Amino acid sequence: MATVFMKWLETTPRDYERGIRLLTLGRLEKLHVLLTEDFIKPGMRVLEIGCGTGALARRMAGKGANVTAVDVSPDMLAEAQRQLDARDLAGSVSFEHMDATLIGERLPVAAFDRIVASLVFSELSPDEQRHVLQNCRWLLAPDGRLLIVDEVPPAGFLQRILFWLVRAPITLLTWILTRTTTRAVRSLEVLLRESRFRPCRLGSRLGGSLVLVEGSPLPEAAPAFDLEQAAIPRLRHRISLRSLLVDLWALFLRVIPPYPKVRPGLYAVGHPDTTSPVFVSGNFDLSVRRLVRELDGKVDAWLLVADSKGINVWCAAGGGYFTADSVIAAVGSSRIESIVQHRHLILPQLCANGVDADRIRGEIGWQTAWGPVRAEDIPSYLAGGKKTDAMRWLRFPLVDRLEMVSATLGLYAIMILIPLLIFWRPLFWPVAISLFGLSYFYGVMLPWLPGRDGLVKSIPLALIALAGLFAYVTLVNPLPPLRLFHWTIGLTGLSVFVAAELQGMSPFMRGEQANWGWELLIGIALGLIYWLVPMAVGWR
Amino acid sequence: MNKPPTFWSSLWEHVEIARTLRSLRLYFDPQMCTGIWECYEVCPVGCWSRDLERGIAVLEKPEACIACGACVLQCPEEAIELR
Repeated sequence: MATVFMKWLETTPRDYERGIRLLTLGRLEKLHVLLTEDFIKPGMRVLEIGCGTGALARRMAGKGANVTAVDVSPDMLAEAQRQLDARDLAGSVSFEHMDATLIGERLPVAAFDRIVASLVFSELSPDEQRHVLQNCRWLLAPDGRLLIVDEVPPAGFLQRILFWLVRAPITLLTWILTRTTTRAVRSLEVLLRESRFRPCRLGSRLGGSLVLVEGSPLPEAAPAFDLEQAAIPRLRHRISLRSLLVDLWALFLRVIPPYPKVRPGLYAVGHPDTTSPVFVSGNFDLSVRRLVRELDGKVDAWLLVADSKGINVWCAAGGGYFTADSVIAAVGSSRIESIVQHRHLILPQLCANGVDADRIRGEIGWQTAWGPVRAEDIPSYLAGGKKTDAMRWLRFPLVDRLEMVSATLGLYAIMILIPLLIFWRPLFWPVAISLFGLSYFYGVMLPWLPGRDGLVKSIPLALIALAGLFAYVTLVNPLPPLRLFHWTIGLTGLSVFVAAELQGMSPFMRGEQANWGWELLIGIALGLIYWLVPMAVGWR
Repeated sequence: MNKPPTFWSSLWEHVEIARTLRSLRLYFDPQMCTGIWECYEVCPVGCWSRDLERGIAVLEKPEACIACGACVLQCPEEAIELR
């Protein structure tokens, strides 16, 4: 009886093939297709570690590659050879019986353009993983790439729970049917980085649990750079009383100079060395602190703060305060050229309207790249080495809209509410509440209000405000006609003012000053109505 | 003739600039394009796309333009104009 059970426990190569297909719901093949289509070219020398029954090896040979495929199981190799013989392929496959940890001793150095490992690293212990990766570095030819398909735990907590809920029954079923299972590799990307590969996630399936990761070999670790000896200040993400006060100032009053500034110069974030990337930023305190907040603890980099007169880079570049000269001056006056070995600047994309990258390249010979629009995308931009459209395009999400409404309101509070408080106190609270209410409502509703122009958007805003007013009057508290009339005039005027003026806060709308003429006209018209109608109707 | 700007004249200048900004449209000459796609790289609102086959840029969504001027400045061929 025990023998029968033991026999059943044994996995045949066919079982394995079926089991893997079941377990990955067929998605493994999709990643194999992606890998072969995008990264295997005819004539390439490819090493596949842990080829199993050789499905991927055959696919790559079909594209014309010359594949050396190794596996630790003779049974698998026999099955692979059998399936290979049944086919006619453009390239060639030679199967060799070999443990993954022995590739460095048995195979020629720098002899492969691609090394491929599908569901192999999950089978190895951490020590074996490091050993195999080290060997891969030796076996790869210059410009060679390591391509790993493997199972990883999904990134988010909720995704992980969801994944295990779905995964558990499939795992059990697969094991009963085929005695095959897989494990997930924890922190595959970290592992790659430790072995001096730059990881880049090229594709994922099954909610991010099955991934295709490319590893490009990095040069051997550069000697650590001694920041203290070089006396270069390190910027850290710290919340202090000062940072809170500056944040509060910036939230409501950022449009009022003097803008909080950072002293221009070279700073370190994390523990950068001579190969670390160099980011350029302007010197608006809020921008620099947000940048550091997103980078600190995630990225080791140099931060070259150029003088943008304390203005954010987009506005500063648009207004001519932040130019190629600012960047050239920052490079020249810092010691960055003697610190890093490379000559590569990452510029904020939003300064492209004023910083002529061609001039930087021409005058000081540094290469330039445009970084992501949002600082929060920088870690994944660096990890992937690629910029996606999502990193390139502006968004104006709710949090940003509310922040910009607040920043604008601060100024209007000073310009409108303080005079009211002093000279016309009965109007203070109605105007204050209406102004704040309308502004935040406008901020929330901005994407859904029709039109691309503040004046046009003011029509629905005014209609909604008046509908609210009349609902209040009919349902809650009837007002005498004259007061209702005043409220109608006031809310209409404020709606036009808010919608037309807050146009300037959105990165998608331009030139709110062109509305001023209309605002003035509408204001005069409302004023005339305010004076004339009660006289005509005899409300006074 | 150049008078120093006064409070009112600088306000008026703002209005003029805003009016110009609003009336600006993108003009692109595909004949001059060499396909480095710097416009696509820097456009924050996705006006540009890449024609990989012909190796040139395509002004795909001119209506999204916010007249920031980034593509105009970065294009080495001066194939893009805002006017």
